[in-house]
Amino acid sequence: MSTLTSALVPPSLDVADPAFSITSAEVHAAREQSWYATTPYGIAVLRYDEMSRLLKHPKLRQGSVAWPAHNGVTEGPFARWWASWILNKEGAEHHRLRRLMNPAFSPKLIGGLVPRFQALAAELIDGFAEPDRCEFVSEFAEPYAARVIAIMLGLPEGEWPVIARESTTIGLAMGVTFREDLPRIEAALANLYDYCDALIADRRAHPRDDFVSALVNASRPEDGRLDETELRDAMVLLVFGGFDTTRNQLGLAVQTFSEHLDQWDLLAARPDLGGKAVEEVMRVNPTVRWVTREVLEDLEFEGVTLAAGTTVHLYSESAGTDPRVFAPGFDIEAERKPHFGFGGGAHHCLGHFVARSDMSEALPLLARRLRDIRLLPGASWLPDSGNTGPVRLPVAFTPAP
Amino acid sequence: MKVIVDLALCQDHGQCAIAAPEVFRINDEGHLEFDGTPEEAMREYVEEAADVCPVQAILIEG
Repeated sequence: MSTLTSALVPPSLDVADPAFSITSAEVHAAREQSWYATTPYGIAVLRYDEMSRLLKHPKLRQGSVAWPAHNGVTEGPFARWWASWILNKEGAEHHRLRRLMNPAFSPKLIGGLVPRFQALAAELIDGFAEPDRCEFVSEFAEPYAARVIAIMLGLPEGEWPVIARESTTIGLAMGVTFREDLPRIEAALANLYDYCDALIADRRAHPRDDFVSALVNASRPEDGRLDETELRDAMVLLVFGGFDTTRNQLGLAVQTFSEHLDQWDLLAARPDLGGKAVEEVMRVNPTVRWVTREVLEDLEFEGVTLAAGTTVHLYSESAGTDPRVFAPGFDIEAERKPHFGFGGGAHHCLGHFVARSDMSEALPLLARRLRDIRLLPGASWLPDSGNTGPVRLPVAFTPAP
Repeated sequence: MKVIVDLALCQDHGQCAIAAPEVFRINDEGHLEFDGTPEEAMREYVEEAADVCPVQAILIEG
C-alpha cells in the first residue's frame, strides 16, 4: 500500500540550490516518474504534451509580473517600465499592444535585413584577433546580437556597446542583488529611453521603410496608435529582450555543435539547413530554460488540482528532449515537432522571426569558416536555470575561407 | 477569399485570434476555430493573421 501511495507522490526538485541544473540527469529522471515535480516555487512541468497545453492554457497567466514587488520594488521608473511590458499584460490590453506591435516584427520586414546579417557575421569572423581561436561571446555572440538590434532600430552599428552595456545592467534586475543594483539599473533604463525618444522623434519627422517607422505608424481603427510612452517602453523591451537571448543562444549553439562535429560539417556544406539547425539547437539547448506561468483560478489538470496563485515553471529542455515525443540524438535534418524555446500561446516571443533569421544566417557561416570547433578551458556560465548561456566561451578551430 | 489552415502545423498559439478575432478564435478546449470564407472587408486583418502566425500555417486563396 505504501508503495502505491509513494508512486503517486510527484518527485521534488530543489531549484533554489545553487548547484541545481535544470538539464541534469536528476530532472530527466523526474520526468520519467511524473509529468511534473514540486519545487520551492510551485511546480515544474517536465513533459512535452503537458507543457504544450499549459503554455497556452486560458486559466494561466504569464508569471513574471510580480517579480519587482517580490523584491520590494513597487514604484519608480523600473517598476513602471516592468508593468508596461507586453509580456506582463493580459486580455484586451495585451491584445491591443500585440496587434499594434506585430506588423513591425513581420517576416516581410525582417527578410530585407538578411544581407546585413550575413555581412555582419562575415565582418566579425574576419575581425577575430587570433587566426585559429576566439573568445566566442565577446568576439562574436555579443557584438552580433547587439548590432542586429542596432540594425533593427536604425542606430549606427558603432554604438552597439551601449546596447550591450545598458541591457546587461538592466539584466541585473533578474538577479538576487536587484534591490542594491536598482540605481544603476534605472540609470541604464534612462539612457535607453533617451536613445528611443530620439529615434521616435526622428521617424515622426522623417518616416523610413524600417522597424521604428512601422511601430510609430502602427494603427488600427479599434486600437488607435501607440503613444509616446508605449513606443519607448516597447523599444527598450526589444533591446532588453532581444540582446542577451540572442547572445546566449548563439553561445549555446556552439556548445552543442562542438559535441556533434558531423552536424557542424553538414551545416557548413548545406547552409540551407541554417533554419533547421536553429530549431534543433533550441530544442535541446534553449537559452530560455523555463517559461513561467501563474494559475489564475483553481484548475484540475491531469488529476492534479492547481490552486490559484501557484507558480508553474515549464521546463523547455526537458520537454524538448521528452522521449515520448522525440527520438534521441541531435540531427539538423530530422523532422521534429516544434520546441518551446520561444514560449507559446498569446505571449509567444514577439521577436522570433528576427531571432530565427539572424541565427540561421550566422550559424552556417560560422560552420564554414570555423572548422573542427573545440571548446578550450576557461569557459564560464550563467546558472543553468531561468535564462542561461556562456559568459565566456573560448573556442579553437581550423580556419577556412 | 478562402482561408486554409494547415492543422498539422497549427499549434493553437492563437496569434491569429488576436490579429483577426472576427475570423479566428480559440475555443474553450484551447483549439483553433475559424471562418474559412470571411468577407472581403476582413482581408487586411486575415493577411495580418497569416503574417504573424508563428508556424506560418495560414494560407489565403483568392
